[in-house]
Amino acid sequence: MKLYYAQGACSLGIHLLLNEVGAAYELVKMDMRAGDLQQPAFLAINPKGKVPALALDDGAVITEWPAIAGYIAAKYPAHHLIPADPLAAARTMEAVLTINGTIHIAGFSRIMRPGKFAPNAEDKETVRSQGREEFLKGMHIIAETLGDKDYVMGAFTIADAALFYVTLWNNMIAKLDIPASINAHYARMMERPAVLKAMQAEGLA
Amino acid sequence: MKFFYSPNACSMGIHVLLEEIGKPYERVRVNFAEAAQYQPDYVAINPKSKVPAIQRDDGTVLTEFPAIAYYLARTNPESGLLPATLEGEIRGLEMLEYMTATVHMRGYTRMFRPATFTPTPADEAEIIEAGRGFVTKGFEILEPVLGTKPYLLGDHLTFADSGLFFLTHWAKYRADIPMPANIAAYLARMLERPAVRRVLADEGLAG
Repeated sequence: MKLYYAQGACSLGIHLLLNEVGAAYELVKMDMRAGDLQQPAFLAINPKGKVPALALDDGAVITEWPAIAGYIAAKYPAHHLIPADPLAAARTMEAVLTINGTIHIAGFSRIMRPGKFAPNAEDKETVRSQGREEFLKGMHIIAETLGDKDYVMGAFTIADAALFYVTLWNNMIAKLDIPASINAHYARMMERPAVLKAMQAEGLA
Repeated sequence: MKFFYSPNACSMGIHVLLEEIGKPYERVRVNFAEAAQYQPDYVAINPKSKVPAIQRDDGTVLTEFPAIAYYLARTNPESGLLPATLEGEIRGLEMLEYMTATVHMRGYTRMFRPATFTPTPADEAEIIEAGRGFVTKGFEILEPVLGTKPYLLGDHLTFADSGLFFLTHWAKYRADIPMPANIAAYLARMLERPAVRRVLADEGLAG
C-alpha cells in the first residue's frame, strides 16, 4: 500500500491508523505549497487532487477520509477500529463526519483559507471568525460524545484518529479555547506509539 | 423511528432509502423557511441544526447523511441496500462522502446560500459561479464511476444511490446544471422507481 499524504494534513489521521494496525505501507509525501496535488501524475491517481489517498497493491485507489479509515478497519478487524454493532458503527462514522465536515471543512478551512470562501480581502476576518465559531461548535459536539471516556467511543476507533488531527491543528495553529476533555484526549493519543511514530515520520514531533 | 427532513433538501436522499426499505416511520418536517432548525426544540435533537436526522424508538438520534445511509442499509439487510462485498461497501462510503462533503457542501451550498460564504452581497455572483464549477466537476468525476451501470454500484440500488439521487434531482430541477449522458439517464431511471415517486409526492415536488 502507498499512502499519499501532506505534512500535518488530515492525512495524518490515516497515517496513524496504518501504524495502529501494523500495516506494511509506503509513504508518498506531497507538497501542497509546491502544487503537487494539481500535477497530472497525482491527478491520475486521485482526480479530486486531495490527500489522503491510499493506493492498494493491485493499483486500486481509495479516497475520502471516512472511506479510507473504513477500509483499514475492515481489513484489520482484530483492532476493532469500527465497532461491530451497526448502531455503534454508525455512531463512529457520525463522529468522524462531524469532525471532517464541521470542524475541518466548515471550521478550519475558513480559518486557514478564507479567500476560498469570500473573494474580497476585506471579508477575511469575518470568514475566519465564522470558521472559529464552526470549529468550536464541532469541538463541543464531540466533547459531548466523548464525555469522561478515554476515547470517543469508549475504546480506540477511527474517530480518535480524526479528533487527533483537528486537535493538533488547534494546538499548533488555531489556538482556540477547546474543552479540557479534548486536550486530555490529545495527551492520551500522544502516548500511543503508533501516533508518535506518525508524528515523527511527518517531522511534527 | 422519526425522520427529520425539509422538502427538497438533501434529506430527500435518506427519504428515498426509507421508502425503498418500506417499513413504517414518522416524517417530521423541519421548517427551514421559519428557521425551525435553529429553534431550541430542534437544536435539542440535532445541535448541528441540519437535516437529515433520524430518531430511533429508544430516543437516540443519528445525524450525518452517510452515517444514516449506512445505518439504514446495515439494519435492513433484506433491502439489499448494503453492498455484498467490502469493496462495494467502501466504494459506497467513498462516493457518499464525496457527494455530500464536496459536491453538496462546496458546490450546491455556494449556489443556494452564497451569503454563508461571503458577507459582501456584490461578491455573491462569483461565489455562485464557483459553486457551479464544483458541481460540474463533481459530475465529471462521477460519470465514469457510474459508467453504463444502472446504479452507482451495479445492477441494483444501494445506499450510495441516496447521494447521487439528490445531486441529480437538484441539477435538473433546482440549479439547471447540465449532466453528462450516463448521469442524466440515471436520474430518469431513478424517477421511475415507485419509492422515488412517493418521496417526490410527499415532499410536494411531483411533476
